Amino acid sequence: MPSAKRRISRKEFLRLGGTGLAGAALVGATGCNAKVRQSSSGGKSGQKSGPIQLAVVPKAVGFAFWEQVRIGAECAASKHKDVEIQWDGVTSETDVNGQVDLLQNFITQGVEGLVYAATDAKVLYQVTEQALDQGLVVVNVDSGTEPQPKQVPVVATDNVAAAADVTERMVKKLGKKGGKVAFIPFQPGTLTNDTRTEGFKKVLGENPQLDLVATQSSESDYNTALQVTNDILTAHPDLDAIYAANEPGVLGAAEAVRQAGEAGNILIYGWDTAPDEVKAVKEGIVQSLVAQNPFRMGYDGVDKAVQRIRGGSDVKLKSVDTGATLISKDNVNDPDVQSLLHPSCKNPPL
Amino acid sequence: MSSTTTTEERGGSALRERLSGVVSQLAAAGALIVVFVFLSFASPVFLSADNLFNIGVQTSYTAVIAIGMTLVIITAGIDLSVGSVAALSGVVGVVLMVQVGIPVVPAIIGGVLVGALCGLVNGLLVSVAGLNPFIATLGMLSVARGLVYIPTNAKAVFGAPDSFRLLGQGVIGAIPIPIIVVAVVAIVGYVVLSRTKLGRYAYAMGSNREAARLSGIPIKRYLTSVYVISGALAGFGGMIASSQVASGQPNFGMGLELDAIAAAVIGGASLFGGQGTVVGTLIGAFLIALIRNGSVLLDVNIYYQQVIIGVVIWVAVLWDQYRRRRLAASD
Repeated sequence: MPSAKRRISRKEFLRLGGTGLAGAALVGATGCNAKVRQSSSGGKSGQKSGPIQLAVVPKAVGFAFWEQVRIGAECAASKHKDVEIQWDGVTSETDVNGQVDLLQNFITQGVEGLVYAATDAKVLYQVTEQALDQGLVVVNVDSGTEPQPKQVPVVATDNVAAAADVTERMVKKLGKKGGKVAFIPFQPGTLTNDTRTEGFKKVLGENPQLDLVATQSSESDYNTALQVTNDILTAHPDLDAIYAANEPGVLGAAEAVRQAGEAGNILIYGWDTAPDEVKAVKEGIVQSLVAQNPFRMGYDGVDKAVQRIRGGSDVKLKSVDTGATLISKDNVNDPDVQSLLHPSCKNPPL
Repeated sequence: MSSTTTTEERGGSALRERLSGVVSQLAAAGALIVVFVFLSFASPVFLSADNLFNIGVQTSYTAVIAIGMTLVIITAGIDLSVGSVAALSGVVGVVLMVQVGIPVVPAIIGGVLVGALCGLVNGLLVSVAGLNPFIATLGMLSVARGLVYIPTNAKAVFGAPDSFRLLGQGVIGAIPIPIIVVAVVAIVGYVVLSRTKLGRYAYAMGSNREAARLSGIPIKRYLTSVYVISGALAGFGGMIASSQVASGQPNFGMGLELDAIAAAVIGGASLFGGQGTVVGTLIGAFLIALIRNGSVLLDVNIYYQQVIIGVVIWVAVLWDQYRRRRLAASD
């Protein structure tokens, strides 16, 4: 073989060598030393007296419920000195990855504490761990993680218990002869939906005189809820009661029952307290609504985080059940209930 | 001489496409009839007046929006923003009634104009700025949704006057007003597509944009108009939906664009442009509504409903392609 063909020019040799070295370096960096990136800064577990930055992150921005959490959080921040909160969130409660990214950005940014509602209990646990490693104070509102670290309190409604309570009311009202019941969930597979289902089904299981004849999702959309309830009423003209697991479901069921001229004959029990839901309670179309206290979630969440940051790791934080109030025609005009329905920092439902 | 031949060839292929459009409409209509007959036997209440009324009302806003979508798809475009635009229009319309105190009819027109304005932005982005329709309207999907949230803080706007309910819930005699509205929109849409310059140009732009440009069609103006119409119909659909719930719902219409696209495609519209009819789209919209309605009447598990609708889209398009290939082979 002629040597000329095999000879590699100096330039080529350098290029090849360079590529090889770069490749080796890349392998060295990524292959041999591959590990999950860890934080460089140490923990800062002592007390802090200067200004505090807190990130408050709901499951999603753009929903009435989370707006009330924000009002509560801002109220609590205003009651403390030098506390500033940053409110941000993803636009869909199912955008788990988006929320992980957002929280990590806040951690990098160097906030002192995270007050957030986990879109996914297992996935977000890692973010909580990461934040704790960096010495941040973490408080969960509405939804916690799995496992729930001891030093991270949860400020939330006990959804299962509240769902059971409102279903008990339905059982009582329907009496011994029971009846046919329809169920309007909103987003099967999500924690909130499924805990509200669990409490409902538990009471249903204890009361065989109640017959669950239809389950249709509202997809958290008023128009869809109206349509499925219309269809359920068509399929089961002898329906006795409806349990709707959130605001659009209750509104749709109430509108369908109103249109069918069955107001008061078909009983409606459900969740949340949008103005037209409350109006339907006053009109006797909706029998009972579970009212949570999102204001208090935001308020207590921020308040606890600040206490811990100011007081250092000696301050032990406990989880809080923010409570659920059943709203019916009897109590809808009570001052307590009104403050719960229209929370403000001047008239806080605490 | 050679130019005559090309014209004839083009005329021939246009005829063939028209024919295949009719054929796929027949296929979709066949599916509609099969589902209808099946449900009549499967559910004792399916044929009741109340239920038929419900189906009509339930289809109305999707059908109106899908007709606008069809026009866009015919030009080889897509409008992903219709769900968000419908929510924006619905909320603005109700705000005009409740908070500004404008009477119902001008408030509805206001909502429709908001939709048309969104469509104008889409149209200019596509025709003047040269953005791909998918990108332009994807941006609007996000912008319009954000614009609903800013003033409302994502809270629904309640308190619309009772007369507003007529649009989405009223009846004239035994016929639901929303159905009359759909019929009017469909007839106008049919006339526009088959009898006007805009319609002919839409098919021409969708079949071969370059040829349409060379033959002197003012592309920018007509393409923009198409998106304005889609936006306006999305706005009108949003007003109908708002009327049905007598409120403005900021979260309304997520995923509605997919229903509208599905209705058009099931009815024989091609995402490559140049094909699609109002009648086909109406059939598609009713087919989807029938499946949803039937699933509830028969209490089909909610997860299965989504699978069924997806499968129907596949079957409709596969059938469409099969028929078109056979038609081309026999030619």
